[in-house]
Amino acid sequence: MNEIFTNLYNKVIGFFRQTEKEETSAKDVACNRLRVVLMQDRTNLTPELMERMRKELVELLSKYVEMDKEALELNLEQDGDQVALMLSIPVIRAKDEEEIQKALQESEEEKEKSEEEDSSEEETSEKDASEETNANDDSEKEENPQEKETQEEENTSEDKK
Amino acid sequence: MSGRVIVITSGKGGVGKTTTNANIGTALARAGKKVVMIDTDLGLRNLDLLLGLENRIVYTIVDVVEERCKLKQALVKDKKNPNLCLLAAAQTRDKSAVTEEQLKDICETLKKDFDFILVDCPAGIEQGFQNAVAGASEAIVVTTPEMSAVRDADRIIGLLEAKEEIKSYKLLLNRVRPNLVKTNDMMSVDDVVEILSADLIGIIPEDTGIITSTNKGEPIVNDDKSLAGKAYRNVARRIIGEDVPFLNLEEDTSVMGKVKKFFSGLMGKEK
Repeated sequence: MNEIFTNLYNKVIGFFRQTEKEETSAKDVACNRLRVVLMQDRTNLTPELMERMRKELVELLSKYVEMDKEALELNLEQDGDQVALMLSIPVIRAKDEEEIQKALQESEEEKEKSEEEDSSEEETSEKDASEETNANDDSEKEENPQEKETQEEENTSEDKK
Repeated sequence: MSGRVIVITSGKGGVGKTTTNANIGTALARAGKKVVMIDTDLGLRNLDLLLGLENRIVYTIVDVVEERCKLKQALVKDKKNPNLCLLAAAQTRDKSAVTEEQLKDICETLKKDFDFILVDCPAGIEQGFQNAVAGASEAIVVTTPEMSAVRDADRIIGLLEAKEEIKSYKLLLNRVRPNLVKTNDMMSVDDVVEILSADLIGIIPEDTGIITSTNKGEPIVNDDKSLAGKAYRNVARRIIGEDVPFLNLEEDTSVMGKVKKFFSGLMGKEK
């Protein structure tokens, strides 16, 4: 009997608590909005810049871990006098050494490529040379997607294990 | 004598800078201190109105700077309190009529004869603000529990922190409405203090008496019955260095509130 009553009591209390939570007060809305806007004011980081930073962080971190890219949260929070950058990353799976090495290699190749592109842009007078580098770029680009595919295949096979 | 120069500023207009200035100045003078108030809101002067001195102004701060009169000639004595003086702003000139250096010099000179120099700052963060802050070593940031006022106060605090001359700044929370705070419709004192992470020097409740006192040109600190007046007197005591607890505005002063308090008191004793 006691159990039935305590269950009932908890349900009733739970119901009221839920309804309380749903209605956030005008004061809380004001506080939260102010915190966000003051963070931006203090750091000069606009929402666009924050989004760019988020994207770059996703790019960087996905070399090392496989994560839920959509769920990555990046927020500025105040802790007393200090402003902290809070990053929350839901990690799906840690990558093994090979994968990490591969990803690092890829990024390095990309870097070289972009450097080559830069130099080719500068050397517009020497048409032949730029054409050659462009040809190289194309071949590399074709290689990259293949690598990615193999990587994905590996991932899925591991998941199955 | 070396007086303290305190600038009263807010960023946003209409939060009660001038009212605060008039009341703190009057309260300090009532406490026996020699006080001079400088209105630096050139072109939009109002401090004279709040003190009821608008008909007594002969010379203004611009006349002093342009050497049409001596500094002492331009100081207007208060009607009631001989300890209190006003250096009025010019109504016909703009903010460029006085420079930072000139204001600094005026403050330095006044320091010799007064305990407190209160500088009334114009709204905004432009030259008028820079001028007003130039001679001060302390600041009182006036804000209200509204989003726009708090945001502007945060900006002002950032600017004050960047100024070497400003040794300390305190927050004065004006126009608090306890009833709205109680129903969670307005930010509480704690909310604002936490968001701005600044030290508090006063909490002033919203008081319709301010309107009548402004209309009469009589600062509300002279009204011993007013709660806002008491709050301002407490601010003045804290400035002098006394340790005065903050008024408990959340207390229910209605008849029902008193009955409730009475019964809760009884219940407390039984335990």
